[in-house]
Amino acid sequence: MTSNALDSPATTDPKETEKRQPLYEASTQFRNWRFSPEGLAQIREKLNEAAVAVIRNTFEVDQPGSSANVAFLNANEEVVLVRLYVTKISQLCAMFRFPEEVEATAISYLKRFYLKNTVMDWHPKNVMLTALFLATKTTNNPISLETYTSHIPKTAPSDVLDLEFLVAQSLNFEFTIWHAHRALWGIWLDLQSLPDMTSNLEPSIYDAALNHIRASRLTDAELIYSPSQIALTAFSVAAPELASKWAQSKLTPDGTQSQLSPDTIPPVLGLIKGMVLKEGHVPDVESVREIDRRLRICKNPEKIVGSKAYLAKQAEDERKVEEKRSKKIFEMQKGQTDPFGDEIQTKNLVDYDDDDDDD
Amino acid sequence: MDAVEKANAARQQQWIKDRKVGEGTYAVVYQGREATTGRKVAVKKIKVGQFKDGLDMSAIREVKYLRELKHQNVIELLDVFSSKTNLNLVLEFLDSDLEVIIKDRTLVFLPADIKSWMAMTFRGLEFCHRNWILHRDLKPNNLLIASDGQLKIADFGLARDFADPGYKMTCQVITRWYRPPELLFGCRYYSTAVDIWSVGCIFAELMLRIPYLPGESDMDQLKTIFRALGTPTEDDWPGHAKLPDYVPVGQFPKPPLRDLFTAASADTLNLLSKCLVYEPRKRITAKDALSHAYFFALPYPSHPSKLPKCSTVMNKPLDEIDANVEVASDPGAKATSKSLKRKLASPTEAKARSIARRLDFSKAPPSSP
Repeated sequence: MTSNALDSPATTDPKETEKRQPLYEASTQFRNWRFSPEGLAQIREKLNEAAVAVIRNTFEVDQPGSSANVAFLNANEEVVLVRLYVTKISQLCAMFRFPEEVEATAISYLKRFYLKNTVMDWHPKNVMLTALFLATKTTNNPISLETYTSHIPKTAPSDVLDLEFLVAQSLNFEFTIWHAHRALWGIWLDLQSLPDMTSNLEPSIYDAALNHIRASRLTDAELIYSPSQIALTAFSVAAPELASKWAQSKLTPDGTQSQLSPDTIPPVLGLIKGMVLKEGHVPDVESVREIDRRLRICKNPEKIVGSKAYLAKQAEDERKVEEKRSKKIFEMQKGQTDPFGDEIQTKNLVDYDDDDDDD
Repeated sequence: MDAVEKANAARQQQWIKDRKVGEGTYAVVYQGREATTGRKVAVKKIKVGQFKDGLDMSAIREVKYLRELKHQNVIELLDVFSSKTNLNLVLEFLDSDLEVIIKDRTLVFLPADIKSWMAMTFRGLEFCHRNWILHRDLKPNNLLIASDGQLKIADFGLARDFADPGYKMTCQVITRWYRPPELLFGCRYYSTAVDIWSVGCIFAELMLRIPYLPGESDMDQLKTIFRALGTPTEDDWPGHAKLPDYVPVGQFPKPPLRDLFTAASADTLNLLSKCLVYEPRKRITAKDALSHAYFFALPYPSHPSKLPKCSTVMNKPLDEIDANVEVASDPGAKATSKSLKRKLASPTEAKARSIARRLDFSKAPPSSP
């Protein structure tokens, strides 16, 4: 999907909404997955704090005092670790020769996942595999799970499937992603049909812009800016004059109709450019290794198969299931011994159909 | 419990399943309600546990597109949650569908009624196409009818998005009777025109009260189409003889539509013929159809609340597949409903079932709404 409306979302005038709503603004991406830089930082801080509190508590229950010397990860370190795994998605996609859309979608899924979860619960090396597999399906490029895992060392089908619901839930089952590279394609097509196009549209310009977009995938840009804003930034870095020519062509003659104006575009482009220059590269391997080493100590013991806390949680879960089941059996037997029902039930009996334990 | 799991559990609590209304191999449909408001809903529970590749494509498509589409004439997906190995889609509750209404011989359709259903179908479809989504399975049974008479396009299990031309797609879509000739000829590059053909077939069916082009096999389908509309010439449809699965199926003359649709107005036949143009690029678009003279001529479309309705409230499964379609690419595409059909085939059976239920002492008496 291409979105070339450079409309910034700030306010909606009631008169404006009477006009046909731009498609992008009806999307779940626009409605639920856009943040301010501060908002994003806050979400991650809170998530990190809550996770640390829970894990610290689990440590203490296991052995009082044991959490005192643990160096938990902070929110920034989590982001850096996730960023490393964004680059791993690209490597896997290159190996599988997946289309660009699969890669970009999986990367968006991974980033969105960690706005709801912490790396201390779910390591990105696992989540990344599930996010990518899910992306092959949601973009209509499915491959069998067996083929998928057989090409990835030390990975079983269950490693991928076990997290699929968790990933889908974290994404709020919102699978559609609007990509900057599609918006870039739209700009490129538009340029070819501009009436006064004299300069040569070298494919190398498009390629250069696409590379900037790929770099932007390592940053938070897509969580803050619209695909068209990111695309125009990438294009203006590759070919500034063409970019401004395109932007000019989008302005209405009186300049009133949209929020698109020569005054508002450059600052936004500057911000995105700065962000991509600062973060749009593979993180330093040594520092990530250090983070990962600490993660081994501070990850949630309840999620480590075989650990004391894991077994305790499992036992608790099983007890709950057992309780539910025996309650159901009891209700059913009650129903059976009483075929004519002495008294009229005023409440629905347990719904036998509503069994979630699938056979 | 993780925050995400907690949120999921909270969602699950919001929706109460009251009774099963249909069951297939891959999905069970319940009638239910929202806990806080009592609003009636349908819960479609998709059993995921048995798929070796995890969440299946048709469930993913349905969720993906319905999450984005909000329109009066498209079924609304209210919520999604998972329970163990099941995916649950909470959909607005719709008590009937166009197939049931067409088949109900006690109902009489006025031209204004047909116009109203067509307007709602085109509105919903125009919205899908505007959002770059092809439905690929339009048929009367996927056009659901709300209690206020509004028509809603449902079942997006075969839908897909389209953008760049030249992207190969499968031609094994759309239930046979509603499938356009280009797909029957194996065309792998197609667009919104495929849905328009289906709407044309539905339009004709509303007037005839029986399926317009009921082919018995893919090959017979082409013959049925050509018998009704004449064999296309190279002029009618340039290049069709070069399509991958092209086979000559005989020369049939083109009878005037008027011969079959004796009571239809000129505008009606004009719009119908524009939906059933052989050359896909010349077929009318949903957008243009909405401004066709047919919709502006007298009689004006009936108000949805005044449309004919079924006397018997059916236990309609939301998702039923006709016996005459084979969806090659998705074995798990739908609730295959041999069992549904057997259970819920006719209004009389539905009535019998409700009587049986009344004798079932274990069930609660109908609670006040």
